[in-house]
Amino acid sequence: MSLDERALHELLVESEDLHSDAMRTTRESLRDLVALGAGALAAGGLGRAVLRFFDTPAFAKESPDIQIMQTAASIENLAVSTYDAALGLPFMAGVPVLVKTFMMKTKDQHAEHGRAFNATATRLGGAAQNGPDPELKKVVDAKLPTLKAPGDVVDLAITLETGAAQTYVANTAALNDVDARKVVASVMGVEAQHISILNAVQALLGTPDLLTLPPPASRLPAPAGSVGFPDSFLKTEQARPGDEGAIK
Amino acid sequence: MSRRRHKEMQISEGELRSMTGDLEEVHQASLAPLGNAVAEWVDLNRSTTRRRFLLGAAATGAGAVLVACGDEKKTVRPTTETTVGATGSLSGDLRIAALAASLENLAIGTYQAALDATAANKLGGVPPAVVTFVETAKRHHGEHAAAWNAILTSAGKTRVTEPDQAIKGQIDGAFAQVRDFAGLARLALGLENVAAATYLDGIGVIQNNQALKTAASIHPVELQHAAILNFVLGNYPVPDAFAKTEGARPPTDYPG
Repeated sequence: MSLDERALHELLVESEDLHSDAMRTTRESLRDLVALGAGALAAGGLGRAVLRFFDTPAFAKESPDIQIMQTAASIENLAVSTYDAALGLPFMAGVPVLVKTFMMKTKDQHAEHGRAFNATATRLGGAAQNGPDPELKKVVDAKLPTLKAPGDVVDLAITLETGAAQTYVANTAALNDVDARKVVASVMGVEAQHISILNAVQALLGTPDLLTLPPPASRLPAPAGSVGFPDSFLKTEQARPGDEGAIK
Repeated sequence: MSRRRHKEMQISEGELRSMTGDLEEVHQASLAPLGNAVAEWVDLNRSTTRRRFLLGAAATGAGAVLVACGDEKKTVRPTTETTVGATGSLSGDLRIAALAASLENLAIGTYQAALDATAANKLGGVPPAVVTFVETAKRHHGEHAAAWNAILTSAGKTRVTEPDQAIKGQIDGAFAQVRDFAGLARLALGLENVAAATYLDGIGVIQNNQALKTAASIHPVELQHAAILNFVLGNYPVPDAFAKTEGARPPTDYPG
């Protein structure tokens, strides 16, 4: 095929101009949205989203799906080590058996999640992540020395479980690999259940005789019926960035 | 290629197609992250209140337009992938949305029947915590139904206000046998588990990003309901390390 190189060049320049115009217009629209919505949005939420886009090169350096799975594994690894450490604290010896059993089983479930996430990461061609999420670990490291009572432990566990559940809800829509999405989705609800029970435990720690299976239902305070699920939609505001725990 | 040379260039059609494909890839690669940013903005706006959700759903339309020319394998999926059959019947994501709304309506109706039966003292003494549970779960399911109906109406479809007819008879029959709060809790646990399984199943096939986010934000809440019901019933509250899809209702529950 014979082409006029000049004509082809002009076509390419025109194409690039069109693309640039489209991107510029969209940037301006998004900036307008930032300005208009700043007061109503969660702190910096849109700004972060837009800045992340503008900071993202057109071609990512490696698979975002692998990074997401490694980050998920890192969150699970941290949860396992944190529950392990918490269960070894002297004052935890006195918590109701149900609470101790729950924490031990929850730790085991997190270990299963970590294995599933790493299996997915390796299936996608990445390496298994056996370390903790570095940012969440800072939170845990700062908190661990301050834990003085079971309620403190429950608070920390809720923080970790919330971070995990919200991260996976966000990941569900972000993952391109459908099987990876299914794995993450099958875990997010379980973490949410951990939050529910931890919330209930926190509310009932002052009345340990109610923390049994089954509980004396007639004696449960009315708020116990809703303390486990404060929101009708699980939020994502505490979701961890998808690359936070990725292997660098 | 030099700007100074304006002679004819020998190039095969295949090479030109390849170069054009490369250009298209560059274009698409820059659009997908943009679409993600817009979708994230939409998600941030869709908070717990129905008003905010509706605002988010409206914004999704704009986001979908932005990404409609994007690679369909990328994260953000255009609304156009949610299809409507040639006869105008629902299919694809919209049918799943309709199924979800109908399941939520079934839960609302069942919980309302439970509240009515409690008020009429037909279930013996129902603990205050269980009453709170029923009231809260019913409200949640109402908000979930509204979310699905917002997706349907934003696509020009009619709201689904009826319960899932495929299993309503079965649930009604089971409710008629309920004599106390434990029986009610067992029935509710079944409903919550079916809803959660249906959402998890749907997450594997839903294409539209907004519908996907909606399902992902609701599925865990249904499992939270189930955890508290298990606790009240004396079952281990988080029995499975991974949520299951067993018992999921198929989209065919809702007439196409």
